[in-house]
Amino acid sequence: MSVWSLALRNLIRNRRRSVLTGGVVMIGFAAFALAGGFMAQSLEGLREGTIRNGVGHLQFADAREFEPGADATLEHGLAGAHEVERILGSDAAVLEVLPRIDFVGLVASGNRSLPFLGVGLDPAPEARSMDLSKTLAAGRWLADRDQRAVVLGTGLATALTVGVGDTVTLLATTADGTLNAVDASVAAVADIPIKELDDRFLATSLGLAEDLLMASDRVSKFVVVLRDGAEDRPALRRLLDALHARGFDITGKTWEELALFYRQVRLLYFGIFGFMGIVLVAVVLLATMNTMLMAATERTREIGTLRALGTRPLAIRRMFVAEGAILAATACLAGAIVALAVRAALNHSGIVLPPPPGVTHGMPLHVKIYGVAYAAGAVTMVLTMMLAAYVPARRASRMPIVEALAHV
Amino acid sequence: MTILEGRGLGRTYNLGSVPVPALDDVHIKIDRGEFLVLQGPSGSGKTTLINILGLLDRADEGELLLEGQPVSGMNEDSLADLRRDRFGFVFQTFNLIPVLTAMENVEYPMTLKAVPRETARRRARELLSRVGLAGKEDVRPDLLSGGERQRVALARAIVNEPQVVVADEPTANLDSRTAASVLGLMRELSDDRHVAFIVATHDPSVVAMGHRVVTLRDGRTVGDP
Repeated sequence: MSVWSLALRNLIRNRRRSVLTGGVVMIGFAAFALAGGFMAQSLEGLREGTIRNGVGHLQFADAREFEPGADATLEHGLAGAHEVERILGSDAAVLEVLPRIDFVGLVASGNRSLPFLGVGLDPAPEARSMDLSKTLAAGRWLADRDQRAVVLGTGLATALTVGVGDTVTLLATTADGTLNAVDASVAAVADIPIKELDDRFLATSLGLAEDLLMASDRVSKFVVVLRDGAEDRPALRRLLDALHARGFDITGKTWEELALFYRQVRLLYFGIFGFMGIVLVAVVLLATMNTMLMAATERTREIGTLRALGTRPLAIRRMFVAEGAILAATACLAGAIVALAVRAALNHSGIVLPPPPGVTHGMPLHVKIYGVAYAAGAVTMVLTMMLAAYVPARRASRMPIVEALAHV
Repeated sequence: MTILEGRGLGRTYNLGSVPVPALDDVHIKIDRGEFLVLQGPSGSGKTTLINILGLLDRADEGELLLEGQPVSGMNEDSLADLRRDRFGFVFQTFNLIPVLTAMENVEYPMTLKAVPRETARRRARELLSRVGLAGKEDVRPDLLSGGERQRVALARAIVNEPQVVVADEPTANLDSRTAASVLGLMRELSDDRHVAFIVATHDPSVVAMGHRVVTLRDGRTVGDP
């Protein structure tokens, strides 16, 4: 008669109580798994969004470019851009190398002019690996590296009262500090989800940006997109080594180091879900401890008998803890089924979460199967239940035997 | 040969803040194979004495010797091992484990000694047959009669071949016919296996079966124990 067998029989004996206690653990586990899945899905979506909305996996630039306030046009631009692009592109883990020129200026149409945040880019690889080309509300994405055309945010286009095919004039300070202007046609209007950016956004070909800024073979930075499965930190180290070996004094950062918003959201999520987790564990612990206390009290006489027969106090505690573990493990299994069912229902519900501040589109509710949350939930619930069983079992096992035998 | 000896045993309980003496300076010896009956009115200290002799409780005063060795200073685990290996218990209310079958209840003390499963099964079956419960091995206690439950308890008490079996009012919940049958069995086991039985009782039929009778009154033995 093993301790597990005895524990199982005691659970079956008090079927109703076991079901109720298991129900608490089951709900606790399902909540844990679903919240974890939602958090993981949200963070993964945010990660993918961050990478594909322009940040990429890695960025390479002059160290001063990464410092706060370093926004003067090509003030710290990288010379020898073609060579740097070639070196970065030669690594097996690299899928795309995206040269970028960040600049600011004024865009004018008719008698209206507005400030813009501009980016000069290579349209083809950007279209392959970034989402900007997929956000077009009208028109067509830039065709080639030298096209004299721009893509405007819808807010900026509306404010300028221009549409696809119209001509605008771009005015900017060159790298040497003089003013220059070029004309460009509006190739497309892009629906940028962040309103403040939508009102100022302008993208153009690398060639037009170079003409406007009078900068040849110089870029602000390189954005690198890695192949699936490639790890960003080892790739960053490898690429920096290759660049340094060829004499380029360039700094690199991973997307996570650059994505302040992502880090803040992750911290917020961990805080919220961590707090929820603690509350959940406390609720489960209190509810189940109360039930286990009842179970131990009801069986006081039985415990006295077992001890009279020569069962050591530790074995008594082990029996109760085994009951807790069996109950929690079974409840977690049921909780996993419940979590999967709820997940399926939520994912098919079409519920769209309200957009976060500064974002124009809501996010469809989607819960991922997040193995870590299931495993952590199971471990947490089993340990919680074992603790809930241990406390009353310890009390019962320390009671004098004659007192336990006389218990009514 | 003396198996168990109490020297000057005393025990006081606290009823709230009032100390209530239950046992006072009791000297007692139990020999191997002896069928000793403790009798006395309610509150005389029978149960207190039997609990101390069965290592279920500790005396406040005096000393308890098992085969000449003092047991008073032992820790809980050592006392549990002694109870498992050298004592058997029969309770007034049978105290069988409700989730175990008759066979498993008898097997339980052997599992504490890590007796191989097959051996335990065989021995439990033999003992159940010996107490007249062949065919009831797989029945749960709640489906057994009072007499049958006490027989299972008796089989459980002797399964580890103890030196002493402690029985507190073993016939109190049985009708007279069943009580006589259980008593006969206890006496037989005492004679056959040379197990000492210490039986606390009010029942004159039990008293009549004792090799020796010790009377308790107000926590003291009356006459020569």
